[in-house]
Amino acid sequence: MLGNLGTNLKDALKKLAGKTVIDRVAVEELVKDLQRALLQADVNVKQVMQLSQTIKKRSLEEEPPKGVTAREHVLKIVYEELVHLVGGKVDVQLGRQTILMAGLQGSGKTTTTAKIARYFKKKGLRVGVICADTFRPGAYTQIKTLCDRVQVNCFGNPKETDARKIVAEGLQHLKDEVIIVDTQGRHALEDELIQEIIDLNEMTHATHRWLVLDAALGQQAREQARRFHEAVQIDGVIITKMDGTAKGGGALSAVSETGSGIVFIGAGETIEDLEWFDPDSFISRLLGMGDLKALAEKVQESIKEDDIDVNAMLSGKFTLRDMYKQLEAVNKMGPLKQVLSMLPLGGMEVPAEAVDVTSVKMERYRIIMDSMTSTELDDPAVLNGSRVQRIAMGAGATLEEVRELIKYYKMMKRTFKNLKGGEKGMQRLMKKFGRFS
Amino acid sequence: MFKALKEKLFSVRQRLETTIEEQKLDSDLTIHSAPSQGSPEPSALSESPAPTPPPRESEREKKAPGFAQKVVSLVRDREFIIAAKDIEDSLSDLEIGLLESDVAFSATDAILTRVREDLTGSKRKIGTSVDAVITNALSDALLSVLGEGVNILDFIASREKPVKILFTGVNGTGKTTSVAKVAHYLTNHGLTVAIGAGDTFRAGAIEQIDVHGERLGLKVIQHQEGSDPSAVLFDTVQYAKAHNIDIVLGDTAGRFHNRVNLMNQLAKIRRVIQPDLIVYVDEAVAGNDAVIRAEEFSKSVGMDAVMLTKVDMDPKGGAAISIAHAVGKPLIFIGTGQGYDDIMPFEPKAIVADLLAGEA
Repeated sequence: MLGNLGTNLKDALKKLAGKTVIDRVAVEELVKDLQRALLQADVNVKQVMQLSQTIKKRSLEEEPPKGVTAREHVLKIVYEELVHLVGGKVDVQLGRQTILMAGLQGSGKTTTTAKIARYFKKKGLRVGVICADTFRPGAYTQIKTLCDRVQVNCFGNPKETDARKIVAEGLQHLKDEVIIVDTQGRHALEDELIQEIIDLNEMTHATHRWLVLDAALGQQAREQARRFHEAVQIDGVIITKMDGTAKGGGALSAVSETGSGIVFIGAGETIEDLEWFDPDSFISRLLGMGDLKALAEKVQESIKEDDIDVNAMLSGKFTLRDMYKQLEAVNKMGPLKQVLSMLPLGGMEVPAEAVDVTSVKMERYRIIMDSMTSTELDDPAVLNGSRVQRIAMGAGATLEEVRELIKYYKMMKRTFKNLKGGEKGMQRLMKKFGRFS
Repeated sequence: MFKALKEKLFSVRQRLETTIEEQKLDSDLTIHSAPSQGSPEPSALSESPAPTPPPRESEREKKAPGFAQKVVSLVRDREFIIAAKDIEDSLSDLEIGLLESDVAFSATDAILTRVREDLTGSKRKIGTSVDAVITNALSDALLSVLGEGVNILDFIASREKPVKILFTGVNGTGKTTSVAKVAHYLTNHGLTVAIGAGDTFRAGAIEQIDVHGERLGLKVIQHQEGSDPSAVLFDTVQYAKAHNIDIVLGDTAGRFHNRVNLMNQLAKIRRVIQPDLIVYVDEAVAGNDAVIRAEEFSKSVGMDAVMLTKVDMDPKGGAAISIAHAVGKPLIFIGTGQGYDDIMPFEPKAIVADLLAGEA
């Protein structure tokens, strides 16, 4: 999900790791690389200039503490400043509250509203949604359909054109603990609509006012966030569409503009695709330091105990049976690429073919493995020509397909084996800061 | 649109002008003065650059063969050379200006390189206006990125009926609204339109386009949510043929370019209905990602034209430049608001001329 920003930042740091002397030239080069990476990720130009100045100044002026080399010190400064950029951690309370959703047209407010409703519902709270989008045709049908899917109350009236009236009625009607008000998309230059959201904010006495921003948003993000913040005091930002290739840098600028933090990240079209945001993990992942915490959470949430043994996988004991389970789990856990981004790979390269297997292919592999015996699954080494032929016939597949599967398995095995040995270079450096000890 | 960029370009232009003026003064006093003419005359000219609008006009018209060659051809008696270091500061200003206007990194690079090449080492006749030199360099650079533009009505007239136009793009860029606006625009120009509700994935999408159709008095062909979009659009084309309708507009579900299956679905739609024009819809507020996704869409399902939406949200409009640079396809429309009338054909020449015209 972090794509190139991560790669570029990692490259910049790798370059630094390879330097023998950390002098002014090295720092300046690093800062320049960082600038490029951040600008390409749509972080606000002014902010990038500021941030790079700070990093440069601190790196050149601050004396590294005893026992820490200059290189480690610079890394630490970069890490700290980046964490600073993404804002503080926003705690989501589980209690009675009203949430007002705000955002530009097409940023994904309605989808996100449903995702948040599901989040609270899963935590055992009663949730009600008010559809205050009276403008876009089909808006009520959309939120109603989504709410029905997660069995959450939904109040709205597609015939009513006054959002204020609907919200007033909705507040009376819904008695749930968590009330989420989905509003119409608007941008900062539409004065009437801005007034409307100010009114809605007053009427609902909203506990939270969350700004929903598209990850692809560019330089305009900061200005939009400022106006929204002036109008209703935004206290959290949700970045959506992080499953595309956008880096969300614009949204980061919005965070610092509103002085709030990122609450959630939306990373997919289905209603489950919502991640709680932790700035530390985010930056760790960004810099290739891995995010074991998030991985553990994800594994816990989506996989039953006997499903997958990550430790065994990492220790190189990876059988076809593991791969079968993994393929099954992939649906629940999200694509392998995403999972891999949480592992501390440092500067290590994972072969692109290992992660670029489409879901159709995954399904084929699963069917082929269904035609294997237990022995074959546990010890793939026994597979020979006649076994391959039998499997192919059983699965209705060609010999090539079965061989391709075996090839894929071998590559996966190698990849996982390498993961274990991948703790080198920067990873070791980061360990010194005690991040993963 | 482009207001902020315009201001920025103006200030950069002024800076470039000053730099070059200074350079010119120097050169007059020193080595670059050609021996055949006395120095008093050009010095006087350079101190009062204002009274030279007529040559500027004629220069603008002769812009076509490209700035560099043209200047070379103009140089006969007196000339001086603009050195790279003289304009580096101004160019770095221009870079920041473009980036702040959301022009993507790669497009910014391309424009800068072009301006730098055009200006540095170019030989300029002392008599010509400095303003014209810079305006032309910038205008050439921008036009080379924005391309020629296309007239949609001419295009439709040149095609066999029904003309099939397919709308694609990532989620939330405003495809459905754009379909409604384009339908409105075309009916206003006396054409008949049918719409295919090809977004069968997003909840409420069919209702949305259906309401638009009702309001605009247009036929919307629809199936159930979750059905095959190719089938919906195929039916729409059949309907249009049977009822002698001029244009079919096909809406599709938003999809990310990194979803192989969804992109394959789009490829299937393309095979089934054989669109005359694939319009890629993206929003003006998008940053660097605009380039990446436009390239991916262009690669996997192709696109013939671009429509930029939400221009009212971000009047800087740098995304227009980014996308045009990335895929080299013309922008046909820009969307500027929530109403059906908030749509404008995009004319690169007019826009660039406006961008570079006088004070912001």
